[in-house]
Amino acid sequence: MTMPVTNYRLIDIDALDPESAFPAELLTPQFTPVSTPEIQTLVGNCRQQLQRGDQEGALVAALEGVPYGGDEQGKDLHLQTVLEILSSIKAVEMSPILSRLYTGPAGTELLDVLMKYLYKGMARHNTPATPAISQHATGVSTGTTAREFGVAPGRGDGGGMSVLLSWHEKVVEIAGEGAIVRVMTDRRVV
Amino acid sequence: MSQSLRPYLKCVRSSLTAAITLSNFASQTAERHNVPEVESGKTPEVLLNPLTVSRNENERVLIEPSVNSIRISIKIKQADEIEHILVHKFTRFLTQRAENFLILRRKPVKGYDISFLITNFHTEAMLKNKLVDFIIHFMEEVDKEISEMKLFLNARARFVAEAFLTPFD
Repeated sequence: MTMPVTNYRLIDIDALDPESAFPAELLTPQFTPVSTPEIQTLVGNCRQQLQRGDQEGALVAALEGVPYGGDEQGKDLHLQTVLEILSSIKAVEMSPILSRLYTGPAGTELLDVLMKYLYKGMARHNTPATPAISQHATGVSTGTTAREFGVAPGRGDGGGMSVLLSWHEKVVEIAGEGAIVRVMTDRRVV
Repeated sequence: MSQSLRPYLKCVRSSLTAAITLSNFASQTAERHNVPEVESGKTPEVLLNPLTVSRNENERVLIEPSVNSIRISIKIKQADEIEHILVHKFTRFLTQRAENFLILRRKPVKGYDISFLITNFHTEAMLKNKLVDFIIHFMEEVDKEISEMKLFLNARARFVAEAFLTPFD
């Protein structure tokens, strides 16, 4: 007689029941797939507008052409473009541009999309490749992590986070906290 | 308060205010159970998109909302190994007393230093804006506390080293 390898008490039998499984297509809405070259042309258009000095037009074009159906690579490309446009706009111009966007016909939608990109931009560093601090914090640092005690590492501006934070503040001022709620509840993720 | 801390905390505050909208929700998988959905994860349709607010690579807050509970995980600033040890000791001290903190989670989410779990029962018993204030206050204080401890530690180490080396002078 052979002993079962797994502890049967820990098996989640509900997960095996096909009745209880929630259909995945109800959670993630279906989109017509957007190919990466299509996103690239859109990105190219945005860049051209940016170079002509039309930051607002570039922002609107980027936010209206959200590639919900794109793959990860295309979405990343689009995120980079949006972040580029955002960082090119000066702090004093943020509020006027947002107010103009908000009073437009698709105002709420645009600002919600912008909010999604702000949160996605801040989540970029969620998967650190290498921990900055050695695992055994014994004081004997090894290899590349060796540095003087009491000396803080280079801080920089934190990868453009301060730009995103000030944009976030302005969007909340204009669109209210409802924009954040819609980011949380919307299954159409950017 | 430093120039970059204010927008960070403001962003966390508005995100938390938006996310702490909880209602009672009995488990759909187990009869007569009422569990925090964000922890059980058995009902994907009531989990909402997680939000990340970050100040830089080493300081961020992860907010995982759901219908009846919200999990807030904080990564505290750790500039060097001493701060890493201090943060570890400090959060360990707190989590061992999680019973008295009500909303503190006993174990932080992976990749973060300390986690809070707020359920609808907490929001029914406590004021929502006070809960948000508490989290913000905690984030403000913990940075101050850690850098203060580090200064004390360095001062003490210097004193000890001096006292130890005087006979050889």
